[in-house]
Amino acid sequence: MTDSTASDPAAEVLARCLALYEDMSFSRVRRWKEAHPGGLAIGALPIYVPRPLLEAMGCLPVSIFGGGDQLDVIRGDSYFQSYICRIPRSTLELAMGGQLDVLDGMLFPSICDVIRNLGGIWNMLFPERFTAYVDLPQNFDRDIGGRFYTGELRRIAAGLVGRGAKPPSDEELRAAIRRENSRRRVLSELSALRRREPWRLRASEAYLAARAGSVLEAQEHEAWLRELLAALERREARAYDNVRVVVRGAFCEQPPLGLIRTLEAAGCDIVDDDFQLGLHFIEGDIEEDSSIDPWTALSNAYLDRGVATSSRYIGEATKGDALIESVRAAAAEGVIFAAASFCDPALLDQPMLEAALDRQGIPHTSLKYAENSGQFQVIREQAGAFSDAVKLWGSAA
Amino acid sequence: MSRHLTAGVDPGASTVKVAIFRSNAGQDAELLASRVQRIRRRDVAQVVRATFDEACAEAGCTDRDFDYIASTGDGDSVGFRTGHFYSMTTHARGALQLCKSARAALDIGALHARGLRMNDVGRVLSHRMTSQCASGSGQFLENIARYLGVPLEDVGALSRQAGTPEKVSSICAVLAETDVINMVSRGIAAPDILKGIHLSIAGRLVQLLRSVGAAGTVVVTGGLSRDEGMVAAIDEVLAEEKNKKKKQHADVTLLAHADGILAGAMGAALLGAYRVQQLAERQAG
Repeated sequence: MTDSTASDPAAEVLARCLALYEDMSFSRVRRWKEAHPGGLAIGALPIYVPRPLLEAMGCLPVSIFGGGDQLDVIRGDSYFQSYICRIPRSTLELAMGGQLDVLDGMLFPSICDVIRNLGGIWNMLFPERFTAYVDLPQNFDRDIGGRFYTGELRRIAAGLVGRGAKPPSDEELRAAIRRENSRRRVLSELSALRRREPWRLRASEAYLAARAGSVLEAQEHEAWLRELLAALERREARAYDNVRVVVRGAFCEQPPLGLIRTLEAAGCDIVDDDFQLGLHFIEGDIEEDSSIDPWTALSNAYLDRGVATSSRYIGEATKGDALIESVRAAAAEGVIFAAASFCDPALLDQPMLEAALDRQGIPHTSLKYAENSGQFQVIREQAGAFSDAVKLWGSAA
Repeated sequence: MSRHLTAGVDPGASTVKVAIFRSNAGQDAELLASRVQRIRRRDVAQVVRATFDEACAEAGCTDRDFDYIASTGDGDSVGFRTGHFYSMTTHARGALQLCKSARAALDIGALHARGLRMNDVGRVLSHRMTSQCASGSGQFLENIARYLGVPLEDVGALSRQAGTPEKVSSICAVLAETDVINMVSRGIAAPDILKGIHLSIAGRLVQLLRSVGAAGTVVVTGGLSRDEGMVAAIDEVLAEEKNKKKKQHADVTLLAHADGILAGAMGAALLGAYRVQQLAERQAG
């Protein structure tokens, strides 16, 4: 046992999560494939893919968040213009460098034009690999969007079966939904703890814990999360007089961990966020009842209980109301809009969300990042000024 | 209203500063104790604790007596803090404590320099910081002093003895350091080199003041506020601008206070007291 684990009961599980976060060679996925001969590892770009479907087919869903701040992008840059965000470049760089060879297929959800184009480029570069565009419906009527979406899911499933995945029985799909619900309940418990006692679990730590789910099956991830929860109960932590903030806009290309830590060091308790949104994209449980067709259950969950985020074409008032509700529920004092540079969905929604906050007198500030941002002085300055202004004067700087 | 006992702890890049006050929500403040200690490659958290304990001993109090212990600067190394304030805010409040009529401050620290303008309660209205380049910082000056074999505390006095200061690059610390090495090999006297460096940094600092729209009294804070050569050089650059009748010259008067280095810690302690009152009022509804 190291000194840090002796003094902090959560240190060991968090160190494991950090190791997974930093592992750009996806060794965990390689090990999973060795342990599951014939199993397919299927990568998925943000924001959302129905992970239970993949697990029910004996596949390991692997969330791909680009190359982070550990990767020099050279070849990937030649495929995208300079005014495009970084995640597609670094994802291509990873692929061309062989780090993603462990994946048997890749899913590109319909988030924005860039991810769609990345899917197209991927198809041309790696024609031998399974590639599917996940066309998430924008019509939320069950008879229209629902029928379309279940058709999409069956199309993707058929494609995977063609690559050797096992056809999912209804019972297996329900079991996978149950495992996913169970994992997400623990994630919700962690979120609740962070809201209640943000000093006990920092946002940067919660981030790592959630991120481990990128390369773990739901059941194993849940076990890690439960281990963390138990450790946090024993953790001796001191409450600080910080400002409680909600972070929005970081749902696709992820901010570097250093940025989240910078916000914390500036005196902010991040009590709600949309980092790695896919893991908590559905509000509440997906229906598990045996009387409901599990394909329909997956579809209904997406249609009826998907979070109000930029990739969903819903009224701006709905998104504004949802943000204000999040602020109230988390007892937050302000909002930090942190969007990846050139992220169209986040940056297009931001003015409407800001206006909604202004109408309620909720202070906010905004900043931009790239997944490889390495200098945080400007952000520290901005977040520090914001945090102090909210704390002392009750309004944004 | 009961008097609040608060402390400000300011771990910077090279020194730890602590100030302990008794005040009424930050007003009518009485400085009970203060300490400055260099870190010198030691564990920052340990230096913080030792400096804080020394200040507490002088003030005759312990951790438990405080209404608020506020960190500023590297707050993570102050595990026993109640809360944290950003250094810009604390330097503004600290500057106001050092000079009530001041509406601007120039914080010159080891790694960065920052110009800021504030209102009469210390709320920052505008601010600007030096860029990533180290040539506007105390660390740079410390490096130069080491090259010259001059103790840091003698730098200011030596600089003031300069006859014909040598001009150095004001753009980049690397180029400036190369300049200095060349000057040493050309036999230029240390005071002239140091004054040249001071003037180079001063030029950047005056630009900062101009860009934030500073006017009236500007309190110099941070570690370099103790460097009399630095302050004299800023005054010189300001006077030169004024004489040349530059359209956008900074119309300011510098105030270098003996406690300028403590401004961050002082501001943190006073804002902590303000915060205690604010939270109490909020709780009372």
